[in-house]
Amino acid sequence: MERLERSFYSKTSMYSFFVILGLLLSMMVATDRFIHMDMALIGYAIASIIFAIGLTIRMSFWFYRTATNRVAKRSLKNLFTKERLIRNVRSIAITFVDNILLQKFIFKRGLYRGIQHLMISWGCLISFAITFGLTFGWMRFDLIDSETYQIVVFNIPTLKMAAHGVFAEIVYNGLNLGAIMVLIGVSMALARRLTNYDVKVTQRFEFDMLPLFILLAVTGTGLILTVLYTFFDGWMHHYMSLIHQVTVVIMLIYFPFGKLFHVPIRPLAAAVPMNYQEVAKIDSRNCKSCGEAYSNDDQIADVQAILGAQEFDLKLNDGTLLSDYCPRCRRRMRALKVMNMEAPQGDPYGPVNTNNGIHLPGFGQKRSESFYVSTEKKQAKEENNEPVSR
Amino acid sequence: MSQFLVKDGVKNQIRKGEKLVTTHCCYCGMQCGMHIRVNEKTNKVVGVEPRYDWVLTRGKMCPKGVTAYQTIDHPDRIKRPLIKKNGKFIESSWEEALDLIQSKFLGLQNQYGKDSIGVYGGVSMTNEKCYLVGKYARVGLGTRYIDYNGRYCMSSAAGGFNKTLGMDRGSTLPWTELEHTDCFFMAGSNTAECHPTSIQWFWKAKDKGAKLIVADPRETATARVADVHLDLLPGTDSALANGIMHLLIEHDYVDHGYIASRCNNYAELKEMTAKFTPAYTSEITGVSEEKLIKAAHIFGQSPRSVVMFARGAEQQTKGVDNVSLYTSMALLRGQIGKFASGVATFTGQGNGQGGREHGQKADALPGYRKIANPKDREYIAKVWGIEEKEMPQEGVSAYEMFHLMEAKKIRALHVICSNPVVSSPNINYVQKALESLDFLVVNDFFLSETAELADVVLPAVTWAEDEGTTTNIEGRVIRIRKVVEPLGESKPDWEIMQLIAERMGKGEFFPYKEPREIFDELRIASKGGKADYYGITYEKIDDQEGVFWPVPEENHLGTPYVFTERFATEDGKANLAVCDWKEPGEVTNSNYPLWLTTGRVVFHYLSGNQTRRVGFLMEKCPEPFVEIHPELAGEYGIADGERVKLSTPRGVMELPAKITKAIRKDTLFVPYHWGKEMSANQLTSPALDPFSRMPEFKVCAVKLEKLSNRR
Amino acid sequence: MNKIMYLEFERCIGCRACQAACRECGDHDAKERNYVDYIDFTESRQTFPMICMQCKDPACARVCPANAIQITEEGVVLSAMEEKCIGCRNCTFGCPFGIPKFDFEKNKMYKCDMCYDRTREGISPMCASVCPSDAIRFIDFDEMQELRRRRVQMNLIEGKKPMEGNKWEYVPEFFGVYSDS
Repeated sequence: MERLERSFYSKTSMYSFFVILGLLLSMMVATDRFIHMDMALIGYAIASIIFAIGLTIRMSFWFYRTATNRVAKRSLKNLFTKERLIRNVRSIAITFVDNILLQKFIFKRGLYRGIQHLMISWGCLISFAITFGLTFGWMRFDLIDSETYQIVVFNIPTLKMAAHGVFAEIVYNGLNLGAIMVLIGVSMALARRLTNYDVKVTQRFEFDMLPLFILLAVTGTGLILTVLYTFFDGWMHHYMSLIHQVTVVIMLIYFPFGKLFHVPIRPLAAAVPMNYQEVAKIDSRNCKSCGEAYSNDDQIADVQAILGAQEFDLKLNDGTLLSDYCPRCRRRMRALKVMNMEAPQGDPYGPVNTNNGIHLPGFGQKRSESFYVSTEKKQAKEENNEPVSR
Repeated sequence: MSQFLVKDGVKNQIRKGEKLVTTHCCYCGMQCGMHIRVNEKTNKVVGVEPRYDWVLTRGKMCPKGVTAYQTIDHPDRIKRPLIKKNGKFIESSWEEALDLIQSKFLGLQNQYGKDSIGVYGGVSMTNEKCYLVGKYARVGLGTRYIDYNGRYCMSSAAGGFNKTLGMDRGSTLPWTELEHTDCFFMAGSNTAECHPTSIQWFWKAKDKGAKLIVADPRETATARVADVHLDLLPGTDSALANGIMHLLIEHDYVDHGYIASRCNNYAELKEMTAKFTPAYTSEITGVSEEKLIKAAHIFGQSPRSVVMFARGAEQQTKGVDNVSLYTSMALLRGQIGKFASGVATFTGQGNGQGGREHGQKADALPGYRKIANPKDREYIAKVWGIEEKEMPQEGVSAYEMFHLMEAKKIRALHVICSNPVVSSPNINYVQKALESLDFLVVNDFFLSETAELADVVLPAVTWAEDEGTTTNIEGRVIRIRKVVEPLGESKPDWEIMQLIAERMGKGEFFPYKEPREIFDELRIASKGGKADYYGITYEKIDDQEGVFWPVPEENHLGTPYVFTERFATEDGKANLAVCDWKEPGEVTNSNYPLWLTTGRVVFHYLSGNQTRRVGFLMEKCPEPFVEIHPELAGEYGIADGERVKLSTPRGVMELPAKITKAIRKDTLFVPYHWGKEMSANQLTSPALDPFSRMPEFKVCAVKLEKLSNRR
Repeated sequence: MNKIMYLEFERCIGCRACQAACRECGDHDAKERNYVDYIDFTESRQTFPMICMQCKDPACARVCPANAIQITEEGVVLSAMEEKCIGCRNCTFGCPFGIPKFDFEKNKMYKCDMCYDRTREGISPMCASVCPSDAIRFIDFDEMQELRRRRVQMNLIEGKKPMEGNKWEYVPEFFGVYSDS
């Protein structure tokens, strides 16, 4: 393994190489040794390969991050631990359904946002599936007779369908359907991003708006293409398809490097119920100071390992680490430290004396105590009795 | 006039599609400056923005102030008049509600005389409205029975100031000067919670080295950082003040020149305080001698000092005595009428100062005139356009009105801007008294506990839906702007009074189209009185960042300091207080062995009718609690958070315990902002101060019980 | 001009205006992101406010497996980006000061961002604007240095000379270096 690695410039380039190799192999198998390759889609195919390389590079860089690596390793280990089978299956299933399929948490942030995101995400997923399926030749339509098409997946003939049947129409128009969904979602998102004050606070054009415009360009040109086909008899069709192709290529190349990269990250959400908090809001590890449950052992171990690996020294005098305490106690410890109040002071029966002499209640300037203490009448006249500190 | 006032160089956040309206908070006497954010398209209030350039508060706000805007467009708002039919409120038209009020009021007055209707006002509203309540009662209804909730708030301070200084302006100096003061003596004031935005001035002074002496049974946030915390027993303020004055005289910290030229009664005072040796004072107050002596030295040696007090000292049967004694402390040191020194009370209600000046009190007429004084009667009768003999005589104080209701002397009551079944002492009795009425009308914008008892509830507007002026804690007259149009069919109180007066056949005396006209009449009515507003105009308020009364001339700029030359008494000299210590109206005994004192928390305002409907405030403080010292809790076996039972001869309540060392061992504290079974005022004592008729909310005897076998 | 948040705990009066005000800031979704806690209510009424320190190298961002916590060019550490955050809460446990909050329903982490919409324009954040006791302040970096220096001098007068190693324990912390050049 190591020798194999050494023969590449870096791990990442090795992964990229194998990803390309795999893709080409799959294409070869699917198109029956490139016989059924659709040459009209060659531009898309090249862009998709660049997309795959970009994604691989970004994913490997992402997994190199100390935090991600640690979480991913634990996930892998847990995934192959027999005792955790039920927990794993349940975690992945719930995350998949709630988080990815239905995106419940986004609907909790607002119905508008929920619909908007569902439209974009599912529109994109449908479109991507069809685009990649066709460009890599994973899926194709073979004409059996003048009335019947057959869907061929990886060179294996599957469903047959009437050329103008309802099902066939849905399949042909899959891209259009996806495009319309994305168009609705993107318009909603743009409207929100342009008018809502709150999102504008941290919004950045190149990060938040640009992907929306790219998606808009892709879906817009794609839909115009369909319109030209159906209503204008293919007028200007050639130019339009070129423009569409350019937009798609831009999107594919942009995808791994911009906001859209959050899509491949999402499945890691399954790591939370798998590794850490099995049921939301139920904790099992107790704070070292107040004793209240605030986290779980595995997570704290991970956090401490991640911080340790990055040279964060958060160890206290007694050897405990700050992450051994609940957030509330951590805040309190900090305030006590700053006020120098860690040790008990004064009369144990009275209220704690928060005026410890180091931090004066006088906050700023101190007036000499001798100005007041003397019980004898000052000889100086009242008028001259200016405070010493002035 | 611009709706958004800001000085050059001050930056505020103005979001796109929104405008800011400059106004003040609706709650306490600090009247913090704020801008309200309004959506220009929908014309709805959407939030708040600090007013960094308001001279007194510099953009600071407490949590109540920050969330105040949420009450404007609140779902609980009453939008149409409510009439109670068969025990249920039915929405109705204004016409119908006014018809009913007209027939009931006229019917009762024909049968039982004009005085059978009472008016119960409040001071959480503008000067214009407060002034009009007095006129409405005396001219519109022709009744002598009018009083207001300020009787529970400021009347002892007013009484004490009038007695010693001859005039009642809450503060003798502008508070922006407090930062130059050398020593604060604060008695009975939980400043940090009740007037949080004033803290900036005390802390600024402390930054410069000022000393802080706090007299309070609890170690409040101010007492915590005080140089001396005089942890006195509730109800012993007069002994404490006498004790401090004894020490001032003993150590000759007295400003003899000042006393000789500007004060009466020094010899008598000296004689009275002679017996209040540290030992004797300590015995009564429970404060150690050492602390008393230290406090007296600090206070005595400070070149500039301010004596401040609040409800803790005032809401007692000897509230007036306490105020006059504390004021005398400042007089002995020759502090009143000078830079950064003087005496001040913390006005509790938003317009507690202005509201008590303009004739809402049973015995007062606008401009601090007296209804018993023939000259004053004649002047106001002339302003109002009535005959002097038509002017009703003096009525009775707020709590005494409930006696008259029970005795069927007052048969109908109009409550404006108040919630007496929560804010009065001994509310079980008050509730009975209100239930015995034939007819009760309440103006409010939320269905308060009092409104629930009403026959007719008239929808009033919030502070942001009407304009006017208020007078803040310093005596500075400031301007409240109209931010949005009234919600639904609600109307401002002045318009409601006007409508009822019309129905009573007195419409000609109430010809107002806008608050400014009422203010102009108020200016004339107060002219020549002690609280003279004659020279104040809305424009002047904007130009000068508020105007301090008295302003006797049109071109007069106002009076930030009062008493610089002479006092407002007849001979121009202040009357030093000569008062002995007296026991509170109720003392502990074997059945009720502990002391109970009540007060506010920072999250709620007065009866809580507004603040109990704001999400943030209720999250932070949803229910009352009782503060208990751990040693006392140990004796009773009470754990933190456990529900306990408190009882006095007047009522019983159950509430959770909060255990803290920051309270005296023999004293319990309960905040009073809740109604019904959660109300601390079921327990409080209705003993009245003989002079100001202020009830003794702050001291009563109580029994504490553990609820056994219950969680 | 550098502006920073400056906290002086003993000034705090526990009114929680900062929390109410925090809800008013843009993008805060009517939820407060700062804290006011009692040191120990049984002992005293001393409270203290706590906000994010806006670390230069934030532990929260370092422990985030999704790389969701971003720092703006001004140095403000923002809440986890909603699209990236996978809801693991590592940030809440990693933060040495216990600052990040987590919303289980909406599956997102949120934390003090110094009212980014205000400070970006040089306007004081809401918490510092309303704080009646000046326990939270938004001041110039130089002013903060002056305040800290005064505290150290005061300690010298008091005869409690701090050692070189613990000198900074004796002065209040400053929070969140911020520049709006």
